[in-house]
Amino acid sequence: PVTAGSIVVPYGHVIVNEKWRGSEVAQRLQGKVRLIFEDGLGLVDFHLSNRTCILLISEADLVAGDEFKRRLVRFRNASSLRGIVIVEKTQISEQYYLGVQKLVVLELGMVLLPVANQGEASQLIIQLVSFCVREQSKDRGSNPFLRKQRPQLAEPAVLQSVQQIPGVGKTKALLLLQQFGSIHRLCNASISELEEVVGQTVAQQIYTF
Amino acid sequence: EQRPSLCVLADTREICSGPEVISCLRAQHRLRVQVCALGTTDYMVSNRLAVERLLQSELQSPGNRNKLSQRLQRLQGSFERICVIVEADRVRPGETSRFFQRTQYYDGVLSALVQAGIRILFSSCQEETAALLKELALLEHRKGAAIQVPTEPEGHRRDILNFYLSIPNLSYGAALNLCHSFGSVAAVANSSVPALAAGSRLSLPRAEQLHRFLRHDFDLQLLPQPLPAKGK
Repeated sequence: PVTAGSIVVPYGHVIVNEKWRGSEVAQRLQGKVRLIFEDGLGLVDFHLSNRTCILLISEADLVAGDEFKRRLVRFRNASSLRGIVIVEKTQISEQYYLGVQKLVVLELGMVLLPVANQGEASQLIIQLVSFCVREQSKDRGSNPFLRKQRPQLAEPAVLQSVQQIPGVGKTKALLLLQQFGSIHRLCNASISELEEVVGQTVAQQIYTF
Repeated sequence: EQRPSLCVLADTREICSGPEVISCLRAQHRLRVQVCALGTTDYMVSNRLAVERLLQSELQSPGNRNKLSQRLQRLQGSFERICVIVEADRVRPGETSRFFQRTQYYDGVLSALVQAGIRILFSSCQEETAALLKELALLEHRKGAAIQVPTEPEGHRRDILNFYLSIPNLSYGAALNLCHSFGSVAAVANSSVPALAAGSRLSLPRAEQLHRFLRHDFDLQLLPQPLPAKGK
């Protein structure tokens, strides 16, 4: 019931539920992104990519009662798409926001973004689309919040860690690491082995640590 | 019906920037709040979830972009899950509620967060933030990820905790778990990857990282800057 089969979204396009034709959101999106209106999208309002879609909850939906909640739950149960819920948070619907947030984010594990009106919704959708397009083009480096895996030398960190052992400063840490190589071997060194590198007291301290 | 084991770690900075959050968590929600030097994050509500409290104005200003992205990238290094609570800025007395001008930049930041898989919650004040933190802690508790070890090691254990904390990409929670699950540092160093994962409650790839770090062969030549000559 969610969608008739899987939806294939052409690159850089947004598929819009027929019911939004002529609405303020659709009008504002027109010209900024390429829209395709389609019937039979079921619960979904906008498809941004093959795996991301938007469900738009209006102020009226919020005030009208729990119908929209049933819609969200049905969507969540029936679809493996990443669902982004955009909700109109106005002075009137504000009071419901916390409850909706709890349901959508904490219970259903979906994304919830508040907007003040349809105009803001269209601006937000434009930004979301641009990120979806970038994701599809594998241009992940452009997202400032995605961690870039760059190999880092472990040497300075290992040295830092060894200095946390009581009685060991930078000089002794270097001596110890040159002798034993790794933290693992240092941990398994005997007292007499340690005494060859550092004094008796410190060797005892390291050994008991 | 609140379990006493529900525990949240708060960063020391939050005493200044979010005092109401902490006192609400303690007084209203009866959570155990342990303030410690988390460093990387504002709150830890479970073994794997870090919560970052951000003001709406911080997300609005492009000047913050670098700082924010560095911060969140560092978080991704040490936590499985990240949640951001976007809190509305406080309205000073006498000031009529400021009109929030939504910018394209702000929408872009939200989109980037969504795409990075970071969870976003919105809060209108510090009390609401506290309530959200409690909900998150409860949820994580239900999923069996709650922090359930003593959070205040003393004496010798304190030294050992500091040692674990110096390991790159190891969160405060994982360090606490290591302290608690293993008798000594040597026991940790000699553990297999699955044993490390179970003891620290880290995922396998992260436990592997830790394992590799402990067995890393030190090479003096690879230290970045030459050491200052002695006797200077």
